Amino acid sequence: MTGARLLRGAAGAAGFLVVGELVIRFGISDGLVFPAPSTILYEAVRLPADPQFLAGVATTMANWALGLLIAIVVAVPLGVLLGAVPSLERTVRPILEFMRPIPSVAIIPLAILLISMEQMMKVSVIVYASLWPILLNTLYGMHDVDPVAKESLRSFGFGKLSVLIRVSLPSAAPFVMTGVRIAAGIALVLAVSAELLAGGVSGIGVFVGTAGSGNRVDLVMAATVWAGLLGVLANMLLLAGERRLFHWHKVRTGAPS
Amino acid sequence: MTRKLRCHALALGVTVALALSGCGGSDNTATTAGNGSGLEKTTIKVGALPVPDPVSLYIANEKGFFKEEGLTVEPVTITGGAAAVPMIEGGQLDISMTNYVSTFVAASQGKKVKLVADMYQAAPNTFNIMVPKDSPIQTVADLKGKTVLVNNLKNIATLAVTTQLKVAGLTDKDVKFVEKPFPDMGNAIMSGQADAGWLTEPFITATQSQHGFRKLVDTMSGQTADLPIAGWMATEEWASKYPKTLAAFNRAISKAQQLASSDRKEIEAMLPKYTKIDAQTASVITLGTYPSELNANRLQKVADLMQEYGYLTSPLDVKSLIVTPASNG
Repeated sequence: MTGARLLRGAAGAAGFLVVGELVIRFGISDGLVFPAPSTILYEAVRLPADPQFLAGVATTMANWALGLLIAIVVAVPLGVLLGAVPSLERTVRPILEFMRPIPSVAIIPLAILLISMEQMMKVSVIVYASLWPILLNTLYGMHDVDPVAKESLRSFGFGKLSVLIRVSLPSAAPFVMTGVRIAAGIALVLAVSAELLAGGVSGIGVFVGTAGSGNRVDLVMAATVWAGLLGVLANMLLLAGERRLFHWHKVRTGAPS
Repeated sequence: MTRKLRCHALALGVTVALALSGCGGSDNTATTAGNGSGLEKTTIKVGALPVPDPVSLYIANEKGFFKEEGLTVEPVTITGGAAAVPMIEGGQLDISMTNYVSTFVAASQGKKVKLVADMYQAAPNTFNIMVPKDSPIQTVADLKGKTVLVNNLKNIATLAVTTQLKVAGLTDKDVKFVEKPFPDMGNAIMSGQADAGWLTEPFITATQSQHGFRKLVDTMSGQTADLPIAGWMATEEWASKYPKTLAAFNRAISKAQQLASSDRKEIEAMLPKYTKIDAQTASVITLGTYPSELNANRLQKVADLMQEYGYLTSPLDVKSLIVTPASNG
């Protein structure tokens, strides 16, 4: 089953690359210059030998992980608190609904002005962008708790805190995890965007900017391929963790595995 | 504005997250020290674009010219001179590369920026308007009604093009300027999005070899011959707070500029190390010149041109922007 799915996915990707290769080599007019997928892939394979690129990946991933971690530490308790105290949620909700749709990339110029330390500026925008999906998913998770289970525990004499710990938190946990997974993707986008806009000592975005200034579009694309791969890899890891930790959730809700 | 004030603004700021990641960051502790060299600050962050202009920064670093002065310099890649102004104001950078047009505009808007060292000056064929081989545009006058790509609007690009339009009896109203990053200009012109592009190296060479472009005009000729292009800037506050550090930076950079001017091989060897311009390209591209000291008379020409073409509304005395380094540093 999984093997067949993998095969189909690989066939799709290969087909896409072949079409791209043919279009670029024969389809577009002679005057246009764009590296073909084979050139990009060749450079992408060679990139790990470039110390500048490796340092960039390390910097970007460190900012990404730190930002995501801070976002989790802030957003999960906040989400649980808001979910547990409905009156508080009603007070804060309008602010949340206003802040959430602001494109996170748009706050980068503001962050450059306000925060004088390079890494802190980048981590801050990552935190800001990752906060919303985690917070909102935690909130949804808290709303989704089975009222019968809560009532049952209450009728057995359990206190509010006990109900929260024994029913609400485990029930909301899979939602939190989904929020973290969504946030991880957004965090990577912000990590690279901040580097593209603000520059820096190193980073995938800094590398892309440098390659562009040197007229190396092939390297720009190769680094972009790596950014995409890292995003896929992070998503796969988190998804696997989610399946492992919360397999019971899928069983309970009857979602296909 | 002081750092403390900034921190308050930050703490009051939009999100819990920003405040949590904190004002008490640990990055700015290792820089002030009263060591043997007597410098107020021994480690500085210097912003530069990954282009040939700031090559002396990397030469001075590799040859140990900064070390000889007791200075540790960390190069930081920036995305543009205008974008670097908030970074030197906020203390993310101590010194940054800038182009003179950006600096003079910033100064005329009341920004407290100072020029601390010279970097790059135009030479023939370093900034050209390029057109496709079979373009009907044969002279600058043919640009009337056409679309010209520039890397930035209202900056050195449009200023340089406008001086050439004037020679041909046109003004900047006669062409349409469109902003486009240098790497994208070749394809944009080939696909008909524009008729001509203002390019610098390595893109002049690249569009010639990849797209078969030809030069329409050298925009660094006539009024703009030998035009100063880029220099190093710091805030007024920084320059007065760290005079000895600045003097040390200046001496090292000046030494590297002399080396770069006297031996092109030094530049060619350095370019592949901090840019993605390979050795082969580095050996064929046209380079400007690398003056070893700031000269108010030469720079005044830039400000005067800017005023003539409406980039500055009032005269700007360039001398007031130049910091003369402490001689006994």
